[in-house]
Amino acid sequence: MPRRRDDYEDDVEEDDEYDGVDEEDDEADGYDDGGKVKRKRTTSDFIYDEAEEDEDEEEDDDDEDYGGGGGARRRGGGKRHKGASNFFDLEAQVDSDEEEEEEEGDDDFIDPGADIPDEDDRRMHRRPLLPREDEQEDVEEIERRIQERYARSLNVEYDDEATDVEQQALLPSVRDPKLWMVKCAIGREREVAVCLMQKCIDRGPELQIRSAVALDHLKNFIYIEADKEAHVKEAIKGMRNIFTGKIMLVPIKEMTDVLSVESKAIDISRDTWVRLKIGTYKGDLAKVVDVDNVRQRATVKVIPRVDLQALSNKLEGREVPKKKAFTPPARFMNIDEARELHIRVERRRDPATGDYFEKIEGMMFKDGFLYKNVSLKSLSTQNVQPTFDELEKFRQPGETGDGDMSSLSTLFANRKKGHFMKGDRVIVVKGDLRNLKGWVEKVEEDTVHIKPNEKGLPKTLAISDKDLCKYFEPGNHVKVVSGATEGATGMVVSVEGHVVNLVSDTTKELIRVFADNVVESSEVTSGVTKIGDYELHDLVVLDDNSFGVIIRVESEAFQVLKGVPERPDVALARLREIKYKVDKKIFAKDRFKNTLSVKDVVKILDGPCRGKQGPVEHIYKGVLFIYDRHHLEHAGFICVKSDSCMMVGGSRANGERNGNSLTSKFSHLRTPPRVPPSPMRPPRGGHGGHNNFGGRGGGRGHDALIGATVKIRLGHYKGCKGRVKDVKGSTVRIELESQMKVVAVDRSHISDNVNVTPSRETSRYGMGSETPMHPSRTPLHPYMTPMRDSGVTPYHDGMRTPMRDRAWNPYTPMSPPRDNWEDGNPGSWATSPQYQPGSPPSRAYEAPTPGSGWTNTPSNNYNEAGTPRDSGSAYANAPSPYLPSTPGGQPPMTPSSAYLPGTPGGQPMTPGSGGLDMMSPVVGADSEGPWFLPDILVNVRRPGDDTTPGVIREVLPDGSSKIALGSSGNGDVVTVLPNEIEVVPPRKLDKIKIMGGAHRGATGKLIGIDGTDGIVKVDDTLDVKILDMVSLAKLVQA
Amino acid sequence: MVNQGGGGPVAVAQIPTSFGHELRACLRCRLVKTYDQFRESGCENCPFFQMEDDHERVVDCTTPNFTGLISVMDPTRSWAARWLRIGKFAPGCYTLAVSEALNPDLQNICEEEHVPYVPPKRV
Repeated sequence: MPRRRDDYEDDVEEDDEYDGVDEEDDEADGYDDGGKVKRKRTTSDFIYDEAEEDEDEEEDDDDEDYGGGGGARRRGGGKRHKGASNFFDLEAQVDSDEEEEEEEGDDDFIDPGADIPDEDDRRMHRRPLLPREDEQEDVEEIERRIQERYARSLNVEYDDEATDVEQQALLPSVRDPKLWMVKCAIGREREVAVCLMQKCIDRGPELQIRSAVALDHLKNFIYIEADKEAHVKEAIKGMRNIFTGKIMLVPIKEMTDVLSVESKAIDISRDTWVRLKIGTYKGDLAKVVDVDNVRQRATVKVIPRVDLQALSNKLEGREVPKKKAFTPPARFMNIDEARELHIRVERRRDPATGDYFEKIEGMMFKDGFLYKNVSLKSLSTQNVQPTFDELEKFRQPGETGDGDMSSLSTLFANRKKGHFMKGDRVIVVKGDLRNLKGWVEKVEEDTVHIKPNEKGLPKTLAISDKDLCKYFEPGNHVKVVSGATEGATGMVVSVEGHVVNLVSDTTKELIRVFADNVVESSEVTSGVTKIGDYELHDLVVLDDNSFGVIIRVESEAFQVLKGVPERPDVALARLREIKYKVDKKIFAKDRFKNTLSVKDVVKILDGPCRGKQGPVEHIYKGVLFIYDRHHLEHAGFICVKSDSCMMVGGSRANGERNGNSLTSKFSHLRTPPRVPPSPMRPPRGGHGGHNNFGGRGGGRGHDALIGATVKIRLGHYKGCKGRVKDVKGSTVRIELESQMKVVAVDRSHISDNVNVTPSRETSRYGMGSETPMHPSRTPLHPYMTPMRDSGVTPYHDGMRTPMRDRAWNPYTPMSPPRDNWEDGNPGSWATSPQYQPGSPPSRAYEAPTPGSGWTNTPSNNYNEAGTPRDSGSAYANAPSPYLPSTPGGQPPMTPSSAYLPGTPGGQPMTPGSGGLDMMSPVVGADSEGPWFLPDILVNVRRPGDDTTPGVIREVLPDGSSKIALGSSGNGDVVTVLPNEIEVVPPRKLDKIKIMGGAHRGATGKLIGIDGTDGIVKVDDTLDVKILDMVSLAKLVQA
Repeated sequence: MVNQGGGGPVAVAQIPTSFGHELRACLRCRLVKTYDQFRESGCENCPFFQMEDDHERVVDCTTPNFTGLISVMDPTRSWAARWLRIGKFAPGCYTLAVSEALNPDLQNICEEEHVPYVPPKRV
């Protein structure tokens, strides 16, 4: 505080000094005394009251004085010199920065308020104040000297201003006023600044702000310069467009940034590339033809967007649509075409230029371009950056390459500072040295020193940067530094003049850019892949409710491949045009009603992209977006209708498919697979239905529908669901779920893809409770799982004999897939006709939950088979994974993850891809479950008994197994039902036997376990396979 | 200060009467006023351009292409004004930067009048 005290003493001294001179003013205004005294008191209690009074008076005087009342001012003139003289006498010794100090000297005398930041200096100077009388004598002399000094300083300034060093000296210090950021109404920034100015003039010095800054590029805020926040508050009080909420201090370091604006260096002149800001041509590239600076207008030429037909309609008085629904595409005006439409075309000569124009409806055309007179304000000159395509279009028809020289040069005028850097490879594009290549050695303001490539030339040449263009060679790896593709990197594949073609690293697309917009870089980036919440490859809904996949992210917009399956439609969407992103998990059906979900691999069956295949990336409204990395357009995305696709090896369709293929293989014994899908659906409630239904099932096509739950899609009962009671000809009798009645509906009016959930539940439920085999459902289930398996096994084994197969084939979910896989040619089966029609049966099961399809399938098969032993158990197990009550059984038995509905894990591994990659067997295994084989170690659990290990010796055709008890199979041989058997999961390095998949029956060694997958080295082939642990069993050699 | 070194009173320059497109900035001192204001009363800091006498001069000496606006209430004590080198001009509304330079003839006038002229720095 002592320092503070000094200050005040200073002020007191000053007061004395001024008192004599300014009495008049003292009287004139004391309006603010009270408040100020109060303020002062709080800060400096220790100062004598007297002194304070004086000071305040003095301060007010000075304020008034400064504000410039006529008389006061005159007197002030005298005072000024006195004040300044104190200062100048010392100033030379104290500080070398003459002008600044001089200014401050003025300040001081004008308003020596206590708050002036340079108090320290002032104090320093003021200390040795001379007696007043002496000064007054010198007034004339001082005045003269000041004038001299002033004049001189102006001259000095002349030189100084230009240097940056001098500017450095002006950097803000703690003593300077501060900048405060204040919120104001958007668009009113300038107005607010001007109003503040006016307010300060009106209110006089009571507003102690120094300046107010409105920046063009900063909306919503202005800066106010003042010493104290309180001053800012005072100044903005009552201002209409200023929000007084928050006043933010700008850190000293950032103060200069506020004021350093890039002057709009580009003025609009002839041949400048500009963009129109408003109207039909908004965003269009235009070339300035003429500028009228006084009227602030320019003539530009643009590619017309004129709808001649509409124009002709209008001229002939035909109806004219009120609102223009669309902007006509830009294309060159064809005068003949206009004439054909009987539009009057006048030929006019422009008096100023002597050029001839075609005038149509007040529009001037020349060489196909529209010449348009626009306000300069409606042109944007900043960041015009015409793309290559635009310039290409703009080139007049017939004009050849050289014509773009002028455009190039205007492009170059647009370049930023530091465009060239040392080491850049450049080519001279203008002048005698045209086409000379070289490297940049040094860059000066406008001159670039290059080291020429040619021999016999001086070591370096200085060339104007306007005459240089960057140059690249094929093979260079570059990065785009400006333009729409900014940020992308890629390899230069060819160079055409100043245009570089590069293949983007991310999208593999060919990008054409100006060499000028590219720098050499080894960086590999994706460029921008995200704007806002939207990322490359996201599925988005646009504001016109269309949807599509983002296939490219440009600097400010996305390229969206629209969800229009008919033809690829790419739209450019800005961020604000995107409504939302679709994240939901959506399913669709393929042509054969296989449920498709994301990541399923599908093959396109028709349309322009027929034959392509790839994983589904997005599904929306029945449209699939498929990613095929061999598809070179649209970043590999193909948009197709889901029903023109086929799931490749649709996991759920497997059973059916196999069944069908088998069917056909085996002498087409079965009903052709075009059998409607539902036959296998278990009847609702499962009241003993299985057997019935099953019994009827396979063979007789129509009847197969009976018992199925269907939805009526047409007619009076549209939307109702029900169970098919009877089928007669083309009529179906359906028992409605919602009403207690049976109705007859045309067969074509029903749809069979009913949500499967109820039926699944039913079947599960029904089986569980009703099968006599289950004493008590829940605990037993675990054990049952194997039972089904074992039950099946025999057939399965039997499969190997053709006869068996034939007999059993539809019911054996197992072998057919194998056959297929063993073909090793998924493609062929995928397309094979026998197979295709086959899928319908699966439909019913293909329901939304991945699990259900699976589980049901085998069960139905059982039913149909009419296996007496039934089913009950089989069913029970099959769905068991979903039964909450049976968790215990799952780990060893159930193909766990793959089965779980909604588990994504299972899906990518669709068996379809199976043939293609090594994952497939696993999936195969999934689909079949573990079918027991001889020589594997199992645990036998019988109700009431403890678990005993045993080794399967033989699997009987009825599904039960002969098991030799004991972990090495030395014990008694017993016959055990499949549901009492549990496979002992092998451990690492165990010898194993593969129970499912293509390698069923093979033996091998488990060399590793990865989650639910086991890594198996197969004995025969020595291949290493990844198989689901569930399909592996420990091998015990007899 | 307006009359450089003349010791006269500090007069406030005219304040723009609108904020729209008719605003222009003096190419030498960057004072911002409307076209009409320049035509009627010239530029307070650069009277030697005599815009009020020769209206064609207004177009030559001023520009509508400028960036940012700063109202300087207290040029001598404003750091911003000093930084922008307008600390010695009359209080008023200025622009942060103009985008054109004075034409050579007018630059010569400045020289004759011994007033500094700094062409805008191109970025």
